[in-house]
Amino acid sequence: MDRCGLFGLFILSLALSGAQAVTPAHHLSLSDVARLQNLLSQQFTDLESAYYSVVGLKKLGAVIYDHKEVCQFLKSQLDPTSVDSLFFAAEASQAISGCEIPVSNETRDILLAAVSEDSTMTQIHRAVSALSSLGLPLASQEVVGALTARINKEDNVMAITLALQTAARLSQQAEFGGILEEIEDLTARLDDLGGIYLQFEEGLEATAMFVTAAYSLSDHVDIEPPLKEDQVIQLVNSIFSKKSWDSLAEAFSVASAAAALSNNHFHVPVVVSAQGPATVSHSQPTLQLLVTDVMSQPLASANVLVESAYAVASKSIILSQAPFTLNDGVFELNFMSSQPASGYYQFTVAVTGDNRLVANHVELKVKVSTEVAVTNMDLSVVDKDQSIGTKTTRVDYPSKAKSSFTADSHQNFAMSFQLVDVNTGVELSPHQTFVRLHNQKTGQEVVFVAEPDNKNLYKFELDTAERKSEFDSISGTYSLYLIVGDATLENPILWNVADVVLKFVDEDAPATIQAKTLYVPKPEIQHLFREPEKKPPTVVSNAFTALVLSPFLLLLILWFKLGANISNFSFSPSSILFHVGHAAMLGLMYVYWTHLNMFQTLKYLTIIGGVTFLAGNRMLAQKAVKRTEKK
Amino acid sequence: MSNSVISVISRFLEEYTTTTPNKLKVVDAYLLYILLTGALQFLYCLLVGTFPFNSFLSGFIACVGSFILGVCLRIQINPQNKGEFLSVSPERAFADFLFAHTVLHLVVMNFIG
Repeated sequence: MDRCGLFGLFILSLALSGAQAVTPAHHLSLSDVARLQNLLSQQFTDLESAYYSVVGLKKLGAVIYDHKEVCQFLKSQLDPTSVDSLFFAAEASQAISGCEIPVSNETRDILLAAVSEDSTMTQIHRAVSALSSLGLPLASQEVVGALTARINKEDNVMAITLALQTAARLSQQAEFGGILEEIEDLTARLDDLGGIYLQFEEGLEATAMFVTAAYSLSDHVDIEPPLKEDQVIQLVNSIFSKKSWDSLAEAFSVASAAAALSNNHFHVPVVVSAQGPATVSHSQPTLQLLVTDVMSQPLASANVLVESAYAVASKSIILSQAPFTLNDGVFELNFMSSQPASGYYQFTVAVTGDNRLVANHVELKVKVSTEVAVTNMDLSVVDKDQSIGTKTTRVDYPSKAKSSFTADSHQNFAMSFQLVDVNTGVELSPHQTFVRLHNQKTGQEVVFVAEPDNKNLYKFELDTAERKSEFDSISGTYSLYLIVGDATLENPILWNVADVVLKFVDEDAPATIQAKTLYVPKPEIQHLFREPEKKPPTVVSNAFTALVLSPFLLLLILWFKLGANISNFSFSPSSILFHVGHAAMLGLMYVYWTHLNMFQTLKYLTIIGGVTFLAGNRMLAQKAVKRTEKK
Repeated sequence: MSNSVISVISRFLEEYTTTTPNKLKVVDAYLLYILLTGALQFLYCLLVGTFPFNSFLSGFIACVGSFILGVCLRIQINPQNKGEFLSVSPERAFADFLFAHTVLHLVVMNFIG
């Protein structure tokens, strides 16, 4: 049971992924193609750059001038003993008409000798291409054998791509099976970046040459390459996302890929874009689309059709299966004839007519804009207690009310109006409907929002007493403006409707209006250094110092009274050394306090302390002996 | 009440002066000196304020430490306590006293600022 469910889910996800197919994010616009042609048209100095320029321009369909000069150049630069030189010259000569490269038996032998397992893939490719371009015979089966052997030895992307390119030059009777499978293997090596780009980590040139080679071989054997539609579009994105090229080789690879993707037998990616902004209005009722291939060449035999168009806001379908008409290379559709309301519409466009087309279902967002008119603008001053009847003044756009309105704290000022579409008379609700009150004298402005009720009638009421804080209670004459704006409106409105004199109750307005000074320099902060603590007066400190030292006197007196003396002092070296050492240690303490740090002190202390300890040990031992002797 | 206190004190002083050996009296005088010094430092701190607090601390700790070490020395060289300090001779006690004082002075000097 759950197996069925899982299978169903799988099918559903496949269907969903198919529905959101990738469309090309990048392609070569006309200016890109011109830039590419410019780069390829630069003056060439050697055979290799001549090859890239001439063959590249041919692929872009550009005109090559001075065929005779180019041919002369090729012949003069040719080195008949080098396979590379022969390759460049032969390929370039094929691209221009009426240029024949002279061939000798030696040339043929050199080229044939290069076709073997021991040459590099590049050599085999260049030799086979040269042989083919010069019209010399070659043994296709041998070449296939050499290629297959080389693929095993050189397993990198460029080598296999060259193998594919070489195979496309062989006769159709050769056994291509193994080589054709390489296309699928290489496809598996591509890196998927975010589902949008598909490229080799070796870079743009490798990706572009792979595309060229894959399609050229597939066309040659007339078997569709195993590339899915999404993969083709992702390859298009990768190859054409770079708009300036570092080298001739890179430019050549992009030109080759563009040519391959524009006219091969199997996959032709379609690029659909709106000409100008995708907007229609009464003044411009037609939606114009450009439908081209990746090189911005218009597709000759395409039929463009709107499969469905629905309003984004209401999801109601406006169009279904409506065709575009081709008019001077641009596909047009008169959308306003379906009388859409203003707003945004989601179009699904299908391009048919050629079953090679890839990414031929495109989603497009189209905006329908219109003009707005303000009608039934009524201004009135209403008493709060409703005792006095309201007097409504009607004002027509764009004129201003003749008299000004006065409202004090007992009254409300009210405004009502309607916004309608000029062309259809439908009521609109734009995004911005503001009422701005501007005090001419002080420059203050206060903005309110006017909101529609459920009958789409816009109302604005100003309660003078309630709103006095917004006005800072400044009485005076305020100009009233109505501001209407929206993305789908072609004529935003700024209308000075009337002057309103507001009288506020408290004149507690500030005497001078201070503009809200947010961006003036702030007062400077003075850094307060840490003030030293208050010290007691020196007299006190000195007195206490004397006081603290006084017990020492007392000690001396007491010792004297007790009869403590040093009469027992033995002048042995150890005791002298001990006393000297001890005195030195105390001196070291003083020096530590004044000059040294802990590490230095410890160093000196170990030295002096060591001496003192030894001497003291000796001295005390002697004393102990003396004591026990006395006992 | 005060009578008995006075009599206790006078009795104590009498016993002290007669029974205590001279050596211990010397040490006691030293201890008294240390005590007074510490008390006077504390008095200064109470009266005037703790301004160089680290200095006050180091001075006070010096007094307290010295007093304690002095007491230890006195206990150890008291002949009446000989039974408890069989392995420690008076010379050894004095040597310990000196070593501990060295460490104390090092710390005090470090902290005095």
